[in-house]
Amino acid sequence: MNFNGTFTQVIDELVQRVMPSLVIVRGHRYGAGAGIVWDANGLILTNNHVVGRRTPIVILQNDREYESRLIARDPDVDLALLSIEAADLTPLKPASVSPRVGEMVFAFGHPWGQRNTVTRGIVSALVSAQNRRGEILPVVRSDTPLAPGNSGGPLVNAKGEVVGINAMIIGGDQSVSIAASVAMDFVTKVLAKKKSEERTPVDVL
Amino acid sequence: MSNNVLVELSDALADAAEKAGNATVLVNARRRMPASGIVYASDLILTADHIIEREDGIKVILGDGAEVSARIAGRDAGSDLAVLKLERSTGTVAEATKSPARLGQLALVLGRPSPNGIEASLGTVSAIGGPIRTGRGGMLEKYIRTDSISYPGFSGGPLVAADGTVLGVNTSGLANGAAVTIPADIAWRIADTLVKHGRIQHGYLGIRSQTVEIPAASQKALKHEQATGLLIVGVENDSPASKGGLIVGDILVAVAGVPVLHHDELFTRLDGDVVGKSMPIDVLRGGQPQTVNVVVGER
Repeated sequence: MNFNGTFTQVIDELVQRVMPSLVIVRGHRYGAGAGIVWDANGLILTNNHVVGRRTPIVILQNDREYESRLIARDPDVDLALLSIEAADLTPLKPASVSPRVGEMVFAFGHPWGQRNTVTRGIVSALVSAQNRRGEILPVVRSDTPLAPGNSGGPLVNAKGEVVGINAMIIGGDQSVSIAASVAMDFVTKVLAKKKSEERTPVDVL
Repeated sequence: MSNNVLVELSDALADAAEKAGNATVLVNARRRMPASGIVYASDLILTADHIIEREDGIKVILGDGAEVSARIAGRDAGSDLAVLKLERSTGTVAEATKSPARLGQLALVLGRPSPNGIEASLGTVSAIGGPIRTGRGGMLEKYIRTDSISYPGFSGGPLVAADGTVLGVNTSGLANGAAVTIPADIAWRIADTLVKHGRIQHGYLGIRSQTVEIPAASQKALKHEQATGLLIVGVENDSPASKGGLIVGDILVAVAGVPVLHHDELFTRLDGDVVGKSMPIDVLRGGQPQTVNVVVGER
Protein backbone atom coordinates (compact mmCIF):
# COMPACT_ATOMS: atom_id res chain seq x y z
CA MET A 1 0.00 0.00 0.00
CA ASN A 2 1.24 3.47 -0.78
CA PHE A 3 0.42 5.64 2.19
CA ASN A 4 1.47 8.79 0.38
CA GLY A 5 1.41 10.86 3.54
CA THR A 6 -2.14 9.83 4.43
CA PHE A 7 -1.00 8.12 7.61
CA THR A 8 0.52 11.32 8.99
CA GLN A 9 -2.56 13.16 7.80
CA VAL A 10 -5.06 10.96 9.65
CA ILE A 11 -3.04 11.18 12.85
CA ASP A 12 -2.99 14.94 12.49
CA GLU A 13 -6.77 14.92 11.98
CA LEU A 14 -7.21 12.79 15.08
CA VAL A 15 -5.10 15.18 17.15
CA GLN A 16 -6.93 18.23 15.77
CA ARG A 17 -10.26 16.66 16.66
CA VAL A 18 -9.39 15.56 20.20
CA MET A 19 -7.26 18.51 21.31
CA PRO A 20 -10.12 21.08 21.71
CA SER A 21 -11.59 18.81 24.41
CA LEU A 22 -8.40 18.72 26.47
CA VAL A 23 -8.21 21.19 29.37
CA ILE A 24 -5.82 22.02 32.18
CA VAL A 25 -7.12 21.50 35.70
CA ARG A 26 -5.22 23.42 38.36
CA GLY A 27 -6.35 22.16 41.73
CA HIS A 28 -3.18 22.47 43.76
CA ARG A 29 -0.83 25.34 44.33
CA TYR A 30 1.85 23.55 42.32
CA GLY A 31 1.49 21.35 39.30
CA ALA A 32 -1.59 20.69 37.27
CA GLY A 33 -3.47 17.84 35.72
CA ALA A 34 -5.60 17.36 32.67
CA GLY A 35 -9.32 17.18 32.14
CA ILE A 36 -11.83 16.30 29.45
CA VAL A 37 -14.71 18.44 28.18
CA TRP A 38 -17.58 16.02 28.81
CA ASP A 39 -20.44 18.09 27.43
CA ALA A 40 -20.89 21.29 25.45
CA ASN A 41 -22.26 23.21 28.43
CA GLY A 42 -19.24 23.09 30.68
CA LEU A 43 -19.05 19.69 32.35
CA ILE A 44 -15.38 18.76 32.87
CA LEU A 45 -14.26 15.27 33.89
CA THR A 46 -10.94 14.78 35.64
CA ASN A 47 -9.22 12.66 38.29
CA ASN A 48 -10.19 13.14 41.90
CA HIS A 49 -6.52 13.40 42.86
CA VAL A 50 -6.05 16.32 40.49
CA VAL A 51 -8.77 18.30 42.31
CA GLY A 52 -7.15 19.62 45.44
CA ARG A 53 -9.27 22.46 46.70
CA ARG A 54 -12.94 22.96 46.10
CA THR A 55 -12.62 25.42 43.23
CA PRO A 56 -9.99 24.25 40.78
CA ILE A 57 -9.10 26.48 37.86
CA VAL A 58 -9.93 25.09 34.44
CA ILE A 59 -8.03 26.44 31.43
CA LEU A 60 -9.42 25.79 27.96
CA GLN A 61 -7.44 25.50 24.72
CA ASN A 62 -8.24 29.17 23.95
CA ASP A 63 -6.37 30.07 27.19
CA ARG A 64 -9.52 31.27 28.93
CA GLU A 65 -9.46 30.50 32.64
CA TYR A 66 -12.54 29.54 34.61
CA GLU A 67 -13.13 29.06 38.28
CA SER A 68 -14.93 25.76 38.35
CA ARG A 69 -17.58 24.36 40.64
CA LEU A 70 -17.03 20.88 42.04
CA ILE A 71 -20.16 18.86 41.33
CA ALA A 72 -18.97 15.51 42.65
CA ARG A 73 -15.88 13.57 43.50
CA ASP A 74 -15.25 9.93 44.29
CA PRO A 75 -11.83 8.83 45.56
CA ASP A 76 -12.78 5.18 45.06
CA VAL A 77 -12.88 5.54 41.30
CA ASP A 78 -10.48 8.54 41.31
CA LEU A 79 -12.91 10.65 39.31
CA ALA A 80 -14.32 14.14 39.76
CA LEU A 81 -16.87 16.14 37.82
CA LEU A 82 -16.47 19.92 37.54
CA SER A 83 -18.64 22.55 35.96
CA ILE A 84 -17.62 25.83 34.35
CA GLU A 85 -19.77 28.70 33.06
CA ALA A 86 -19.15 28.14 29.36
CA ALA A 87 -21.12 27.04 26.34
CA ASP A 88 -20.53 25.63 22.87
CA LEU A 89 -17.59 23.55 24.01
CA THR A 90 -16.38 20.50 22.06
CA PRO A 91 -16.96 17.33 24.08
CA LEU A 92 -15.38 13.92 23.46
CA LYS A 93 -17.44 10.84 22.81
CA PRO A 94 -16.80 7.74 24.90
CA ALA A 95 -16.23 4.50 22.96
CA SER A 96 -19.35 2.37 22.98
CA VAL A 97 -17.48 -0.93 23.21
CA SER A 98 -14.56 -1.87 25.43
CA PRO A 99 -11.14 -1.74 23.78
CA ARG A 100 -9.26 -4.76 22.41
CA VAL A 101 -5.76 -5.77 23.44
CA GLY A 102 -3.41 -4.62 20.69
CA GLU A 103 -5.45 -1.70 19.42
CA MET A 104 -3.77 1.69 19.12
CA VAL A 105 -4.38 4.35 21.73
CA PHE A 106 -3.28 7.95 22.19
CA ALA A 107 -2.93 9.74 25.51
CA PHE A 108 -3.54 13.49 25.66
CA GLY A 109 -2.32 15.56 28.58
CA HIS A 110 0.32 17.82 30.05
CA PRO A 111 3.09 15.49 31.35
CA TRP A 112 5.62 17.29 33.53
CA GLY A 113 3.81 20.52 32.67
CA GLN A 114 4.51 20.17 28.94
CA ARG A 115 1.24 21.44 27.55
CA ASN A 116 -0.86 19.54 25.00
CA THR A 117 1.25 16.45 24.63
CA VAL A 118 0.23 13.36 22.67
CA THR A 119 1.81 9.95 23.35
CA ARG A 120 1.07 6.74 21.47
CA GLY A 121 0.77 3.13 22.53
CA ILE A 122 -1.42 0.08 22.32
CA VAL A 123 -3.81 -1.48 24.80
CA SER A 124 -1.59 -3.90 26.73
CA ALA A 125 -4.11 -5.61 28.95
CA LEU A 126 -7.63 -5.28 30.24
CA VAL A 127 -7.39 -5.80 33.97
CA SER A 128 -9.37 -5.23 37.11
CA ALA A 129 -8.44 -3.18 40.12
CA GLN A 130 -10.19 -3.46 43.44
CA ASN A 131 -11.02 -0.26 45.29
CA ARG A 132 -11.49 0.32 49.03
CA ARG A 133 -15.18 -0.42 48.76
CA GLY A 134 -14.27 -3.86 47.38
CA GLU A 135 -15.67 -2.99 43.97
CA ILE A 136 -14.00 -4.33 40.85
CA LEU A 137 -12.96 -1.53 38.52
CA PRO A 138 -12.16 -2.26 34.89
CA VAL A 139 -8.82 -0.69 34.04
CA VAL A 140 -7.06 -0.28 30.69
CA ARG A 141 -3.32 -0.91 30.86
CA SER A 142 -1.27 0.37 27.95
CA ASP A 143 2.33 0.79 26.85
CA THR A 144 1.69 4.50 26.29
CA PRO A 145 4.20 6.65 28.16
CA LEU A 146 2.37 8.61 30.90
CA ALA A 147 3.75 11.02 33.48
CA PRO A 148 2.38 13.31 36.18
CA GLY A 149 0.27 15.86 34.32
CA ASN A 150 -1.38 13.19 32.19
CA SER A 151 -3.75 12.48 35.07
CA GLY A 152 -7.36 13.24 34.19
CA GLY A 153 -6.67 13.40 30.46
CA PRO A 154 -8.20 11.13 27.85
CA LEU A 155 -6.88 7.91 26.38
CA VAL A 156 -8.54 7.73 22.96
CA ASN A 157 -8.70 5.02 20.30
CA ALA A 158 -7.88 5.42 16.59
CA LYS A 159 -11.34 6.90 16.06
CA GLY A 160 -10.81 9.58 18.70
CA GLU A 161 -13.27 8.02 21.16
CA VAL A 162 -12.45 7.94 24.87
CA VAL A 163 -11.46 4.46 26.06
CA GLY A 164 -10.02 5.56 29.39
CA ILE A 165 -9.21 8.36 31.81
CA ASN A 166 -5.47 8.41 32.43
CA ALA A 167 -4.70 7.90 36.08
CA MET A 168 -1.15 6.76 36.54
CA ILE A 169 -1.37 7.31 40.28
CA ILE A 170 -3.17 4.01 40.84
CA GLY A 171 -0.77 1.99 38.73
CA GLY A 172 2.65 2.82 40.12
CA ASP A 173 5.10 2.82 37.22
CA GLN A 174 2.73 1.24 34.72
CA SER A 175 0.44 3.24 32.48
CA VAL A 176 -3.12 2.69 33.58
CA SER A 177 -6.35 4.40 32.67
CA ILE A 178 -9.76 4.08 34.25
CA ALA A 179 -12.05 2.41 31.72
CA ALA A 180 -14.46 4.75 29.94
CA SER A 181 -17.40 2.64 31.16
CA VAL A 182 -16.53 3.58 34.77
CA ALA A 183 -16.48 7.26 33.82
CA MET A 184 -19.83 6.99 32.08
CA ASP A 185 -21.40 5.27 35.12
CA PHE A 186 -19.94 7.90 37.42
CA VAL A 187 -21.25 10.84 35.36
CA THR A 188 -24.68 9.25 34.86
CA LYS A 189 -25.11 8.64 38.60
CA VAL A 190 -23.94 12.14 39.53
CA LEU A 191 -26.25 13.81 37.03
CA ALA A 192 -29.25 11.69 38.09
CA LYS A 193 -28.60 12.56 41.72
CA LYS A 194 -28.16 16.20 40.86
CA LYS A 195 -31.44 16.28 38.99
CA SER A 196 -33.35 14.75 41.87
CA GLU A 197 -31.82 17.18 44.33
CA GLU A 198 -32.14 20.30 42.25
CA ARG A 199 -35.60 20.93 43.68
CA THR A 200 -34.19 21.26 47.19
CA PRO A 201 -31.68 23.99 47.88
CA VAL A 202 -29.06 21.68 49.36
CA ASP A 203 -25.46 22.11 48.55
CA VAL A 204 -24.39 19.02 46.66
CA LEU A 205 -21.01 17.52 47.19
CA MET B 1 -15.30 9.01 11.98
CA SER B 2 -15.14 6.70 9.04
CA ASN B 3 -12.47 4.08 8.77
CA ASN B 4 -9.08 5.32 7.67
CA VAL B 5 -5.55 3.88 7.54
CA LEU B 6 -5.07 4.54 11.25
CA VAL B 7 -8.25 2.69 12.23
CA GLU B 8 -7.34 -0.13 9.84
CA LEU B 9 -3.86 -0.47 11.32
CA SER B 10 -5.29 -0.39 14.84
CA ASP B 11 -7.81 -3.12 13.96
CA ALA B 12 -5.09 -5.20 12.27
CA LEU B 13 -2.90 -5.00 15.38
CA ALA B 14 -5.79 -6.06 17.62
CA ASP B 15 -6.56 -8.91 15.19
CA ALA B 16 -2.91 -9.99 15.25
CA ALA B 17 -2.87 -9.89 19.07
CA GLU B 18 -6.04 -11.98 19.16
CA LYS B 19 -4.86 -14.54 16.60
CA ALA B 20 -1.43 -15.09 18.13
CA GLY B 21 -2.83 -14.57 21.63
CA ASN B 22 -5.06 -17.63 21.27
CA ALA B 23 -1.88 -19.68 20.77
CA THR B 24 -0.03 -17.98 23.64
CA VAL B 25 -0.29 -19.79 26.95
CA LEU B 26 0.60 -19.31 30.60
CA VAL B 27 3.35 -21.64 31.84
CA ASN B 28 3.53 -22.14 35.58
CA ALA B 29 6.71 -24.02 36.38
CA ARG B 30 8.35 -21.86 39.03
CA ARG B 31 7.57 -20.46 42.44
CA ARG B 32 7.40 -16.79 41.51
CA MET B 33 5.13 -15.36 38.84
CA PRO B 34 4.31 -17.59 35.85
CA ALA B 35 5.69 -16.93 32.37
CA SER B 36 4.47 -17.57 28.84
CA GLY B 37 4.65 -20.20 26.11
CA ILE B 38 3.64 -20.78 22.50
CA VAL B 39 1.43 -23.61 21.21
CA TYR B 40 3.91 -25.20 18.82
CA ALA B 41 1.88 -28.30 17.96
CA SER B 42 -1.54 -29.41 19.16
CA ASP B 43 -0.08 -31.02 22.30
CA LEU B 44 3.31 -29.28 22.51
CA ILE B 45 4.29 -25.94 24.07
CA LEU B 46 7.47 -24.11 23.13
CA THR B 47 8.77 -21.94 25.96
CA ALA B 48 11.93 -20.55 27.56
CA ASP B 49 14.11 -23.03 29.45
CA HIS B 50 14.98 -20.68 32.30
CA ILE B 51 11.37 -20.28 33.44
CA ILE B 52 11.15 -24.01 34.21
CA GLU B 53 12.36 -24.45 37.76
CA ARG B 54 10.64 -27.75 38.54
CA GLU B 55 9.95 -30.95 36.66
CA ASP B 56 6.73 -31.98 38.38
CA GLY B 57 3.46 -30.16 38.68
CA ILE B 58 3.91 -27.99 35.59
CA LYS B 59 0.62 -26.27 34.72
CA VAL B 60 -0.30 -24.61 31.44
CA ILE B 61 -3.28 -22.29 31.01
CA LEU B 62 -4.47 -22.22 27.40
CA GLY B 63 -5.93 -19.32 25.46
CA ASP B 64 -9.46 -20.47 26.30
CA GLY B 65 -8.67 -20.43 30.03
CA ALA B 66 -8.47 -24.22 30.44
CA GLU B 67 -5.74 -25.49 32.76
CA VAL B 68 -3.76 -28.52 31.53
CA SER B 69 -0.91 -30.43 33.16
CA ALA B 70 2.32 -30.76 31.23
CA ARG B 71 5.67 -32.50 31.45
CA ILE B 72 9.05 -31.63 29.95
CA ALA B 73 9.53 -33.19 26.50
CA GLY B 74 12.94 -31.64 25.97
CA ARG B 75 15.03 -28.69 27.08
CA ASP B 76 18.26 -26.95 26.16
CA ALA B 77 19.88 -24.48 28.50
CA GLY B 78 22.28 -23.22 25.81
CA SER B 79 19.53 -21.84 23.59
CA ASP B 80 17.15 -21.24 26.55
CA LEU B 81 14.39 -23.21 24.85
CA ALA B 82 12.21 -26.02 26.14
CA VAL B 83 9.28 -28.03 24.84
CA LEU B 84 6.47 -29.19 27.11
CA LYS B 85 4.05 -32.00 26.34
CA LEU B 86 0.44 -31.35 27.28
CA GLU B 87 -1.74 -34.03 28.84
CA ARG B 88 -4.34 -33.33 26.19
CA SER B 89 -4.45 -31.57 22.84
CA THR B 90 -5.51 -27.99 22.23
CA GLY B 91 -7.02 -26.47 19.12
CA THR B 92 -5.08 -23.34 18.34
CA VAL B 93 -1.53 -23.79 17.05
CA ALA B 94 0.75 -20.78 16.47
CA GLU B 95 1.80 -20.01 12.91
CA ALA B 96 5.49 -19.33 12.43
CA THR B 97 6.31 -16.56 9.97
CA LYS B 98 7.43 -17.40 6.47
CA SER B 99 9.18 -14.04 6.03
CA PRO B 100 11.92 -13.37 8.59
CA ALA B 101 11.90 -10.22 10.72
CA ARG B 102 13.04 -7.01 9.04
CA LEU B 103 14.61 -3.96 10.63
CA GLY B 104 11.95 -1.35 11.35
CA GLN B 105 9.06 -3.79 11.12
CA LEU B 106 6.19 -3.37 13.59
CA ALA B 107 6.13 -6.17 16.12
CA LEU B 108 3.95 -7.07 19.10
CA VAL B 109 5.38 -8.67 22.22
CA LEU B 110 2.72 -11.00 23.63
CA GLY B 111 2.58 -12.78 26.96
CA ARG B 112 0.11 -14.48 29.24
CA PRO B 113 1.67 -14.22 32.70
CA SER B 114 -1.72 -13.97 34.40
CA PRO B 115 -4.87 -16.06 33.94
CA ASN B 116 -6.82 -12.84 33.29
CA GLY B 117 -5.90 -12.60 29.64
CA ILE B 118 -3.32 -11.79 27.04
CA GLU B 119 -0.86 -8.90 27.47
CA ALA B 120 0.75 -7.00 24.63
CA SER B 121 3.13 -4.17 23.86
CA LEU B 122 4.12 -2.70 20.53
CA GLY B 123 7.49 -1.80 19.14
CA THR B 124 9.65 -2.10 16.09
CA VAL B 125 12.38 -4.56 15.24
CA SER B 126 15.39 -2.45 16.20
CA ALA B 127 18.29 -4.85 15.62
CA ILE B 128 19.01 -8.20 14.03
CA GLY B 129 22.36 -9.68 14.98
CA GLY B 130 24.38 -12.80 15.64
CA PRO B 131 25.96 -15.17 15.99
CA ILE B 132 26.56 -14.58 19.69
CA ARG B 133 27.58 -16.76 22.56
CA THR B 134 24.70 -16.87 25.00
CA GLY B 135 25.17 -16.34 28.69
CA ARG B 136 24.21 -20.00 29.09
CA GLY B 137 27.03 -21.67 27.19
CA GLY B 138 25.28 -21.89 23.86
CA MET B 139 25.59 -20.22 20.52
CA LEU B 140 22.75 -18.26 19.00
CA GLU B 141 23.07 -18.01 15.24
CA LYS B 142 20.78 -14.99 14.96
CA TYR B 143 18.78 -12.83 17.35
CA ILE B 144 16.21 -10.04 17.15
CA ARG B 145 15.90 -7.03 19.43
CA THR B 146 12.91 -4.71 19.65
CA ASP B 147 12.20 -1.40 21.35
CA SER B 148 8.97 -2.61 22.95
CA ILE B 149 8.30 -2.92 26.66
CA SER B 150 8.77 -6.42 28.02
CA TYR B 151 6.35 -6.95 30.89
CA PRO B 152 7.30 -9.35 33.70
CA GLY B 153 6.49 -12.93 32.72
CA PHE B 154 6.75 -12.36 28.97
CA SER B 155 9.60 -14.91 28.59
CA GLY B 156 8.60 -17.84 26.38
CA GLY B 157 5.94 -15.79 24.59
CA PRO B 158 5.96 -14.81 20.94
CA LEU B 159 7.12 -11.77 19.01
CA VAL B 160 4.29 -11.29 16.54
CA ALA B 161 4.15 -9.62 13.12
CA ALA B 162 1.22 -7.42 12.12
CA ASP B 163 -0.34 -10.39 10.30
CA GLY B 164 -0.43 -12.46 13.49
CA THR B 165 2.39 -14.82 12.55
CA VAL B 166 5.18 -15.54 15.03
CA LEU B 167 8.54 -13.86 14.34
CA GLY B 168 10.30 -15.49 17.27
CA VAL B 169 10.39 -16.49 20.92
CA ASN B 170 11.07 -13.76 23.51
CA THR B 171 13.31 -14.39 26.47
CA SER B 172 15.15 -12.48 29.14
CA GLY B 173 17.32 -15.51 29.85
CA LEU B 174 20.02 -15.18 27.21
CA ALA B 175 21.53 -11.73 27.63
CA ASN B 176 21.84 -10.91 31.34
CA GLY B 177 18.14 -10.15 31.72
CA ALA B 178 17.79 -7.99 28.63
CA ALA B 179 15.04 -9.03 26.26
CA VAL B 180 16.05 -10.80 23.06
CA THR B 181 14.03 -12.77 20.56
CA ILE B 182 15.10 -16.11 19.10
CA PRO B 183 14.00 -16.04 15.43
CA ALA B 184 11.15 -18.44 14.65
CA ASP B 185 13.04 -20.56 12.10
CA ILE B 186 15.83 -21.24 14.61
CA ALA B 187 13.45 -21.78 17.53
CA TRP B 188 11.24 -24.14 15.54
CA ARG B 189 14.29 -26.11 14.33
CA ILE B 190 15.59 -26.47 17.90
CA ALA B 191 12.10 -27.45 19.07
CA ASP B 192 11.96 -30.19 16.41
CA THR B 193 15.25 -31.59 17.71
CA LEU B 194 14.06 -31.33 21.32
CA VAL B 195 10.90 -33.26 20.50
CA LYS B 196 12.94 -35.95 18.72
CA HIS B 197 15.87 -36.31 21.11
CA GLY B 198 14.85 -34.53 24.31
CA ARG B 199 18.01 -32.46 24.18
CA ILE B 200 20.32 -30.69 21.76
CA GLN B 201 23.36 -32.62 20.64
CA HIS B 202 26.43 -30.48 20.11
CA GLY B 203 28.79 -31.63 17.41
CA TYR B 204 32.47 -32.42 18.07
CA LEU B 205 35.43 -32.65 15.70
CA GLY B 206 38.45 -32.88 18.01
CA ILE B 207 40.60 -30.10 16.63
CA ARG B 208 42.32 -27.10 18.07
CA SER B 209 42.57 -24.17 15.75
CA GLN B 210 43.28 -20.49 15.43
CA THR B 211 42.02 -17.86 13.03
CA VAL B 212 44.50 -17.01 10.29
CA GLU B 213 44.48 -14.86 7.22
CA ILE B 214 44.24 -16.67 3.92
CA PRO B 215 46.94 -15.51 1.45
CA ALA B 216 45.73 -14.02 -1.83
CA ALA B 217 47.14 -16.91 -3.84
CA SER B 218 45.20 -19.45 -1.76
CA GLN B 219 42.05 -17.38 -2.07
CA LYS B 220 42.49 -17.63 -5.81
CA ALA B 221 42.77 -21.39 -5.50
CA LEU B 222 39.56 -21.40 -3.43
CA LYS B 223 37.84 -19.61 -6.28
CA HIS B 224 36.07 -17.24 -3.85
CA GLU B 225 37.09 -14.40 -1.58
CA GLN B 226 37.50 -15.43 2.00
CA ALA B 227 39.68 -13.33 4.29
CA THR B 228 40.20 -15.83 7.10
CA GLY B 229 39.99 -19.50 7.99
CA LEU B 230 40.88 -21.76 10.92
CA LEU B 231 44.44 -23.09 11.02
CA ILE B 232 44.38 -26.52 12.64
CA VAL B 233 47.11 -26.58 15.30
CA GLY B 234 46.13 -29.83 16.98
CA VAL B 235 44.14 -32.99 16.22
CA GLU B 236 43.15 -35.28 19.08
CA ASN B 237 43.85 -39.00 18.82
CA ASP B 238 40.91 -41.14 17.77
CA SER B 239 38.79 -38.04 17.32
CA PRO B 240 36.31 -37.64 14.45
CA ALA B 241 38.79 -35.23 12.86
CA SER B 242 41.71 -37.69 12.92
CA LYS B 243 39.50 -40.52 11.63
CA GLY B 244 38.31 -38.28 8.83
CA GLY B 245 41.86 -37.39 7.85
CA LEU B 246 42.25 -33.79 9.04
CA ILE B 247 45.87 -33.00 9.86
CA VAL B 248 47.79 -30.25 11.63
CA GLY B 249 48.52 -27.45 9.18
CA ASP B 250 45.22 -27.68 7.32
CA ILE B 251 43.31 -24.42 7.11
CA LEU B 252 39.63 -25.16 7.60
CA VAL B 253 37.64 -22.87 5.29
CA ALA B 254 34.14 -24.36 5.07
CA VAL B 255 31.79 -26.92 6.62
CA ALA B 256 29.11 -28.46 4.44
CA GLY B 257 29.78 -25.82 1.83
CA VAL B 258 29.25 -22.88 4.24
CA PRO B 259 32.35 -20.69 4.67
CA VAL B 260 33.84 -20.63 8.17
CA LEU B 261 35.80 -17.47 8.94
CA HIS B 262 35.86 -17.58 12.74
CA HIS B 263 35.45 -20.01 15.62
CA ASP B 264 31.91 -18.80 16.32
CA GLU B 265 30.86 -19.86 12.86
CA LEU B 266 32.33 -23.33 13.37
CA PHE B 267 30.34 -23.61 16.63
CA THR B 268 27.18 -22.63 14.78
CA ARG B 269 27.80 -25.27 12.13
CA LEU B 270 28.29 -27.94 14.78
CA ASP B 271 25.01 -27.13 16.53
CA GLY B 272 21.81 -28.68 15.34
CA ASP B 273 21.20 -32.07 13.81
CA VAL B 274 24.74 -32.99 12.74
CA VAL B 275 25.95 -35.56 15.26
CA GLY B 276 26.64 -38.92 13.62
CA LYS B 277 26.42 -37.46 10.15
CA SER B 278 29.19 -37.31 7.58
CA MET B 279 30.03 -33.70 6.78
CA PRO B 280 32.24 -32.46 3.95
CA ILE B 281 34.90 -30.14 5.37
CA ASP B 282 36.82 -27.92 2.99
CA VAL B 283 40.44 -27.23 3.87
CA LEU B 284 43.48 -25.64 2.30
CA ARG B 285 46.33 -28.14 2.38
CA GLY B 286 49.62 -26.87 1.04
CA GLY B 287 47.74 -23.94 -0.44
CA GLN B 288 45.43 -26.20 -2.42
CA PRO B 289 41.72 -26.77 -1.69
CA GLN B 290 40.72 -30.24 -0.63
CA THR B 291 37.56 -31.77 0.82
CA VAL B 292 37.62 -34.22 3.72
CA ASN B 293 34.57 -36.08 5.01
CA VAL B 294 34.25 -36.23 8.79
CA VAL B 295 31.61 -38.13 10.75
CA VAL B 296 30.73 -35.57 13.45
CA GLY B 297 30.95 -36.85 17.02
CA GLU B 298 29.12 -35.61 20.11
CA ARG B 299 30.63 -33.19 22.59
